[in-house]
Amino acid sequence: MPSDHFGPIMLKVNDVSMFFGKVAALSGVSLDVREGEIHSIIGPNGAGKTVLLNCINGLYHPQKGEISFKEQDITKIKTYHRAELGISRTFQKIELFRGMTVLDNIRLGRHIHLKSGILSGFIYLGKTAKEEIKTREFIEEEIIDLLEIESIRNKTVGMLPYGLQKRVELGRALALNPKLLLLDEPLAGLNLEEVEDMARFILDISQEKRWKVTCILVEHDMGVVMDISDRISVLSFGNKITTGTPSEVQNNAQVIEAYLGEEDLYATRR
Amino acid sequence: MQYLPCGIYHEYYQQDHAWWQTRFVIGKMILLGIFIFYILPFWGGLYWVGVATLTIYTIMGALGVQLLIGYCGQVTLGHAAFIAVGAYTATLLTLQLHLPYLLSMFIGGLVAGLWSVLFGLPSAKVKGFYLIMTSLAAQFVTVDFILTQYVSQIGGRGQAFSLPPGSITIGPLVLDSDLKVYFLGAVLTILLTMGLANLLRSKVGRAWIAIRDNDIAAETMGINIITYKLMAFFVAGFIGGIAGAFWVSTLAALSPEHFQWFWSLWLVGVILIGGVGSIYGTIFGSLFMVLIMEGLKFIIIPLTPVYPALTMKFLFLKEATFGLAICLFLIYEPNGLAYRWWQIKNYFNLWPFSY
Repeated sequence: MPSDHFGPIMLKVNDVSMFFGKVAALSGVSLDVREGEIHSIIGPNGAGKTVLLNCINGLYHPQKGEISFKEQDITKIKTYHRAELGISRTFQKIELFRGMTVLDNIRLGRHIHLKSGILSGFIYLGKTAKEEIKTREFIEEEIIDLLEIESIRNKTVGMLPYGLQKRVELGRALALNPKLLLLDEPLAGLNLEEVEDMARFILDISQEKRWKVTCILVEHDMGVVMDISDRISVLSFGNKITTGTPSEVQNNAQVIEAYLGEEDLYATRR
Repeated sequence: MQYLPCGIYHEYYQQDHAWWQTRFVIGKMILLGIFIFYILPFWGGLYWVGVATLTIYTIMGALGVQLLIGYCGQVTLGHAAFIAVGAYTATLLTLQLHLPYLLSMFIGGLVAGLWSVLFGLPSAKVKGFYLIMTSLAAQFVTVDFILTQYVSQIGGRGQAFSLPPGSITIGPLVLDSDLKVYFLGAVLTILLTMGLANLLRSKVGRAWIAIRDNDIAAETMGINIITYKLMAFFVAGFIGGIAGAFWVSTLAALSPEHFQWFWSLWLVGVILIGGVGSIYGTIFGSLFMVLIMEGLKFIIIPLTPVYPALTMKFLFLKEATFGLAICLFLIYEPNGLAYRWWQIKNYFNLWPFSY
């Protein structure tokens, strides 16, 4: 698929460097993500993929370089402001609110769209009650229906199996109604059936007219990455090696070298 | 998980969001209301009204602690300070400026809330044990230093503010009997409990629980953690302040001795025994603690002719029982009475069948 098929540049990472002490987790990484694409970031363990996501998300602040989102410089702004701009994410290790129910977790994703405060929440009449009902409608019709988690909506998240927790986490990230979704290893630890479901959900939210969410996908499962990505960036030891379509990346000599030892990019599954 | 009886279906989200979803539950609530407002005060006798008033005060005090520890994960050991701020503000406004009691109660709550925010500021930087230290600072700075040394001197009344009978009035109604105080307290407790429960199912409350469970994920979902922590401190302080201002109406004289550090610890014990992270837990814990202490009196008083030393040592016994109760609960029922209550309810959901 030609890359100019997509819209304007949504996220621009420009020459970002991040050091922990003297260790360079990222050194001068630049990449741009265009509106509507699924942009995967791959690389061997310790390549800096999650660090890059954390920089985009605002959990880490890079020492050098700029990150701009929709032509607005977001390098310095706080994580929760970036959420308000429409950047949402899931985590590699599940970071759900374990004591809350599935429904409440997803409701929390609606946080930035709700308006009630201390006083109106205390009274819970009129506007607040209506707002909660509207939120519920949105969640039931858009998210629970999409992710097929009807049967667990009232269960406490901590008691759910791993695969479902991953799905709930995706639901929570979607409830924010994001423009850019950062997916940090959404397939890690899932069985084959769950992987197929999850890949289907990612394609749905990327392509369905209702969502059209731009996704950045960090993933080790090369089979899925090659199948669903529009473009792929490869990181190795904090440096970006290349960006290109799946077939370009597969035939890139440097990429093959970085993955040396894994003779076949498809080694992880299949 | 919640079960609904056979034949009851929800057709609107509104029904699913309602507090009381079946007629059976509404019936139980009406019975509880009749008990609180009719049977207990008019048939129970003055002794039980007194016990109930103490329970109500404990519930109101513990609600704030429950909000901070149980729902927002900010451990506090100085909540008595905010109760004291509410009590003193309300008393000063009533005695010195002759404001109406309910208004000064409200202002007392606001001042206590802001005072609580002041000592909640360190929570932006520190967590867990370090936050306990700052809450201890709140206790000792507020009660033992500011209130004892300075505020108590206002008006030249010495160490304690005496509250002559008739000084606390609501409109034309003079709060001079235990019964009237009890009714005021019952109404306030119901309002505060329902308000807090409402808050916990709307935006602000969910954000608090999210911060308790996972603050990093909460921030990525767009929650400004510091603001919401401070909001939790404000609401907890406000509820504490109202509790303090209410307690004034039961007293003949207000002195810092009512708000010692042990009372802060006591409130934490209440929620540990009742169940952390549960509004029911606050109520059960308060009932349990008050009733255990009253029961202790019933055991000790008949023994005093045989062991006269017990009268002197009652305070120690009380504290030892408190400690023992907490230990036993932590060992045998770490989730508190609320969890037991939930188990019993679940059992009867399917009773008499096992599944």
